Amino acid sequence: MRLALRQVIAILLLALLPAIATGLWHPRRPAWQSDEVTLSAASAWGHDILWIDARPDADFARAHIPGAVSLNEDRWDDLLPAVLDHWNTTSKKIVVYCSSLSCQASHDVARRLREEADLPNVFVLQGGWEAWLKRNPPPP
Amino acid sequence: MTRSTQRIIAAILGLIFLVTGALKVLDPAGFAIDIQNYRLLPWTCDVLGALYLPWVEILCGGAFLFKIAYRGALTISALLLAAFIIAYGSTRPRGLDIACGCFGHGIHHGYWSHLSLDTLLLIIVIYLLKADLRPLSPVLHGNGPREETPRP
Repeated sequence: MRLALRQVIAILLLALLPAIATGLWHPRRPAWQSDEVTLSAASAWGHDILWIDARPDADFARAHIPGAVSLNEDRWDDLLPAVLDHWNTTSKKIVVYCSSLSCQASHDVARRLREEADLPNVFVLQGGWEAWLKRNPPPP
Repeated sequence: MTRSTQRIIAAILGLIFLVTGALKVLDPAGFAIDIQNYRLLPWTCDVLGALYLPWVEILCGGAFLFKIAYRGALTISALLLAAFIIAYGSTRPRGLDIACGCFGHGIHHGYWSHLSLDTLLLIIVIYLLKADLRPLSPVLHGNGPREETPRP
């Protein structure tokens, strides 16, 4: 038992070194600041937001946040120019959303906007479209 | 099960840990988002986990493969797998449908298949740990009582 404990401590300590190196120098290291914003925080920015809808085209066509621009990974190359046009003319903060709290698309689109399109101030809406609907329910 | 069969199973387990750890090391930012999707910890802890856990996984894989610090690696793996099964198992009851993050960023094979695979891995790890703690069989390893040889 004592041997196992010694080995556990050795492995855990040894893993610290490459982990620190990863945190310092890895080209794809995560940022220490989360890129997620709540709807209340985003709403406080007023009209200085460019909403980007990362959901599939069909979902966007059905309903979306007023003024949002569609940009999903399936049609990235087709849709990106329109997003850049909007951003160039407005210089707003960008908030990307997908369907819900657990969807992945908004994070992936936000990351590509930062890395490939080199855009600053890109955030992800926590809770996505579901959070928006909760706050702004559709008229009956 | 013989010792050589256990060695083969440990080596396969080692390869799995090495590959899955390496996939996460390649994209720590993606892995941090995968951890964040569990909605269990604050972002700073997600980042720390994304930087640290893949290297623990890789070291455990190496330990299985080369049988260095073997018992310690089995203990860590059992604890990590158990923690993961509990964390991932809790996602569906909490209304989350997320990629588990175990095989690299965004790879989603389905809730039950991930849980089954990780439970199987946990069972194997516990079996290997028990086998390692068990004293060697005196008969199989030639340490048993020696037969009296008739004196001339």
